[in-house]
Amino acid sequence: MSFTEIKHRLRARSEYGLRLAAMEDVGRRYGGGTHDSALPQVGLFWRYVFIPCFRRVPWSTKRKAMRALKMTARDWPEDARRFGEPWRPPARASQETGR
Amino acid sequence: MSERLIVIGGGGSGTAAATIAKRVNPDMHVTLFSEFPDIAYSPCGIPYAHGREIPEFKDLFLSTVQRYVDDGLDMRMETTVTDIDLARRTVTARNAHEGFDKLILCTGFVWEQPDVPGVNLEGLHYVKDIRRAMEFDKEIDSMKRAVVIGGMWLGVEMSGALARRGLEVQFIDDGPWLLSELVDPDVAEPAQEALEKLGVNVRTGTRLLGFEGSGGRVRAVSSSAGELECDVAVVCLHKLPNTSLARAIGLKLGTIGAVVVDDHMRTSAPGVWAAGDLIEVPHGLSMLPIGGLTGSHAYAQGRVAGANAAGEDRSYDPVWIPWGFMAGDYTIGGFSIGETLAEAMGIPYVIAKGVGVSRARYFPGAARTHVKLLAEPDTLRLIGGQLHGGEGIKERCDFLAFVAKRGATLEDLAWMENIYSPPIGALFEPIQIAAQTGLAEQARRREQVTA
Repeated sequence: MSFTEIKHRLRARSEYGLRLAAMEDVGRRYGGGTHDSALPQVGLFWRYVFIPCFRRVPWSTKRKAMRALKMTARDWPEDARRFGEPWRPPARASQETGR
Repeated sequence: MSERLIVIGGGGSGTAAATIAKRVNPDMHVTLFSEFPDIAYSPCGIPYAHGREIPEFKDLFLSTVQRYVDDGLDMRMETTVTDIDLARRTVTARNAHEGFDKLILCTGFVWEQPDVPGVNLEGLHYVKDIRRAMEFDKEIDSMKRAVVIGGMWLGVEMSGALARRGLEVQFIDDGPWLLSELVDPDVAEPAQEALEKLGVNVRTGTRLLGFEGSGGRVRAVSSSAGELECDVAVVCLHKLPNTSLARAIGLKLGTIGAVVVDDHMRTSAPGVWAAGDLIEVPHGLSMLPIGGLTGSHAYAQGRVAGANAAGEDRSYDPVWIPWGFMAGDYTIGGFSIGETLAEAMGIPYVIAKGVGVSRARYFPGAARTHVKLLAEPDTLRLIGGQLHGGEGIKERCDFLAFVAKRGATLEDLAWMENIYSPPIGALFEPIQIAAQTGLAEQARRREQVTA
């Protein structure tokens, strides 16, 4: 199995487990109209180690970690300005095409 | 000799790429290969043609192959590309080689197949090719019962369509509520009610176990809720990137198994671009690569790839994904993320909820519009939302995705301007109401903390 495939599987598995856990929590909060999920549960490691640990880490740290692990897109400009920043055209496009 | 561009794939992204490339550089020789006989039709309209909301399938065809030929494109219909040789710059189709200088891959998606017994039975229907859909449409009149499998929006649309045609429809989904991968339970609830009003039996929390056949044809769907008899099983699971050619030529694949491109739709191979459902693009909030987006995303990506292959310099932004569709007669939509996904990713958020009306309250046809916005707790910057109601949901989701991308906050939305004209808009815009309510809630909490 290639490194890309391993990363693909890891992401799919972790996302699936996190989504299942979130569905349980959100479903409990809203109550009526939801059922017990029939989606297959994830393994014990994901359920009792990965998900609780992931939830404890602040989002800003998670974002930095995902970037460091090269899980986020590269060769893409982050487009959104932060609160209070004026809009600016994308750097490359403004220099080369004046878009 | 003019430059040669080959586009593989005749869906939204491929058609857009070929058309724009020719428009940008009329001297370029542009060849489009498609395995299908038709071009420029709307696959997204198929459920509505089945439901007879669109009277005839021919209404879904927006253009003809001949029109593209007249525009100077070399159209190779019903021609499957079986091999690409990047070193020699050739593609192989029907045992003949065709040279290229530049290549755009738009090979789209394949449907996820359920991993259960009986998937090879006849009578399992996947919505994709319009010719197959037209054949299926003729069969519907002789059918009585359908089971629709899968928690994605196509399943909801197909359930509504088949119910409108008078079939007894069972919708099964293993999630805890309707469309649980996409929508929050408070938005799913009215959507489910709308489907039930059409007669669809919605069974969430129900697992598909297999397909039971008789004489090689499906006769029932075996599920955790028992055996559900049917004349057809419509399978609507996930869209998977069709990367077989991309893999064969060694293009870099990403963490969702789709082709990695940069903001110019360039792949890892020089002179090769890709667009549409086979690629992954970053989500604007997290910058995590995602895929399997809408037809409008595929089309826009195709335009960027085509323009760049023809010599322009266009970039594509990370996506904030406005989405929306009909569940029966009810509209649901959203953008970016909802509560469930925010919880899953561990993104902190505050919620701003409000209900307004789509027109002046007294004007006939006014519909309640429910708005739920998610914002960052510290800056109140918009990060997602989900809406439901009647008219105007689509436009609001488009608007919200755009302003979220530009960094709008709940404060901005609470004081936004809006159109007040009784037949088309109420005095108080529902988005404003939600944002105002959210701000008031935040102020109340701050007071509680300081007290």
